Amino acid sequence: MNESMLCTKTHEYLLEQDNKYIIGITDYAIEQLGDIVFIELPDINTEFSKNEAFATIESVKAASEIYMPISGKVIEINEEIVNNPELLNDENYENKWFIKITSDANQVEFADLLDYSDYKEEIE
Amino acid sequence: MTKQTFLHDKHIALGAKMVDFAGWHMPVQYSSIIEEHKTVRNNVGIFDVSHMGEIIIKGEDAEPYLNKIVPQNIDKLTNLKATYCQLTNKNGGIIDDLIIYKLKENEYLIIANASRIDEDLNWMVRNKVGFNLEIINESHNYSLLAVQGPLSVELLREVGLNNLPSFFNIKRDEIFGINVWISRTGYTGEDGVEILVKNEFSEYLWDKLLEYGKKYNIKPIGLGARDTLRLEAALHLYGNDLDENTTPIEAGLSWSIPKNKTVEYNGKLIIEQQLKDGVNKKLIGFKMLDKSIARHGYDIYYNKEKIGNVTSGGISPTRGDNIGLGYIKNLDNLSVGSTIQIMIREKLHDAEIIKRPFITKRNKNN
Repeated sequence: MNESMLCTKTHEYLLEQDNKYIIGITDYAIEQLGDIVFIELPDINTEFSKNEAFATIESVKAASEIYMPISGKVIEINEEIVNNPELLNDENYENKWFIKITSDANQVEFADLLDYSDYKEEIE
Repeated sequence: MTKQTFLHDKHIALGAKMVDFAGWHMPVQYSSIIEEHKTVRNNVGIFDVSHMGEIIIKGEDAEPYLNKIVPQNIDKLTNLKATYCQLTNKNGGIIDDLIIYKLKENEYLIIANASRIDEDLNWMVRNKVGFNLEIINESHNYSLLAVQGPLSVELLREVGLNNLPSFFNIKRDEIFGINVWISRTGYTGEDGVEILVKNEFSEYLWDKLLEYGKKYNIKPIGLGARDTLRLEAALHLYGNDLDENTTPIEAGLSWSIPKNKTVEYNGKLIIEQQLKDGVNKKLIGFKMLDKSIARHGYDIYYNKEKIGNVTSGGISPTRGDNIGLGYIKNLDNLSVGSTIQIMIREKLHDAEIIKRPFITKRNKNN
């Protein structure tokens, strides 16, 4: 996990990189879900508002929705995890991001996001 | 107040993820549901199922009484044999599904679902009028351990159980000097046993079986894998696949219903009529034709019309596809091989009706 990422209380993370944002779910969320067996990601160019469900992830037990930390437009999706969802449970696999977006979100949308250190406190 | 089994501390020490289930704080998984599932299919696993209910029916009218409250022929049950039963209401709806063991003349053991013990006891007491017998809830005195998997017989032989009862039989025996009831039953589709033991000995027995099981790669198995295992074997889960508005015939349990039972029992009229004339809704098994997963409560469609709903669904680690059980309107043109659709997140996904069980059961080859 990267120290500079921002997290939501629903366990998504947001990481800024070269004017884009990378979105995924935290290691804690993955551990809580257990065996992940299915991931559905949105089409490229789909636009979402903040807090809108953009993906579905299914563990053996249940389906969960994944929400946008901020608003934005999908420019890339991680096909590898769609084809091999079990990679998310693999400790040696590092490429666990879900989507990359561009965003014009203003500061208000960032207000409720947690610094990684605050998030860690939240889940302990 | 959530209840704990006598093995609760063991589960915590083994690192189990705990959940509330039917009023009990139970392990849902220890390591990974898929790994635990495969352990039971390939080796041997041990389950704490102490949340299940144990009810003793004892007295000179025990047999005619049980014969009145279930559709099965209890008078044909011989000593130390078991039969799969349904506790039916006046409309033939299923109050609970049970295993009834005849321990000896005038004494029977009922294993009931944890979530249904209170309803079962209420109904049993209401039906007791005029019968000379006792209904004793022993649930709080006994723990139940299930040992399941192809290597379970070998493991049990190693701990001194050389003469296991045969399929759906029970016997009194001793393991490590502890008196137990041991029955050749389970909820996985694999060979194995369920061991009924007084609470005070359950921790010792659990530890010993795990210790002796090491060389067979035994693992403790949580409720998560218990669910995927029973689904592959197409064994019903009460509350999902069975309820008070569903009869055994609708539930695909006709095989368990005697055709010529002369004695009256609750729901007999409706059950016999359905056997003769057919049913309006029926249980089906299906597999998804894409990678999507059907879940409890999703709607089933055919020709753009809603025809039913999914009652159990999930992945099949053994088959490598996704399967489910559900109820549909009994339409003539729908049978094994037909394509139906499941509504998943507002999109229809194709599924094919297939035969149940979803895997070849391996619990009867002995």
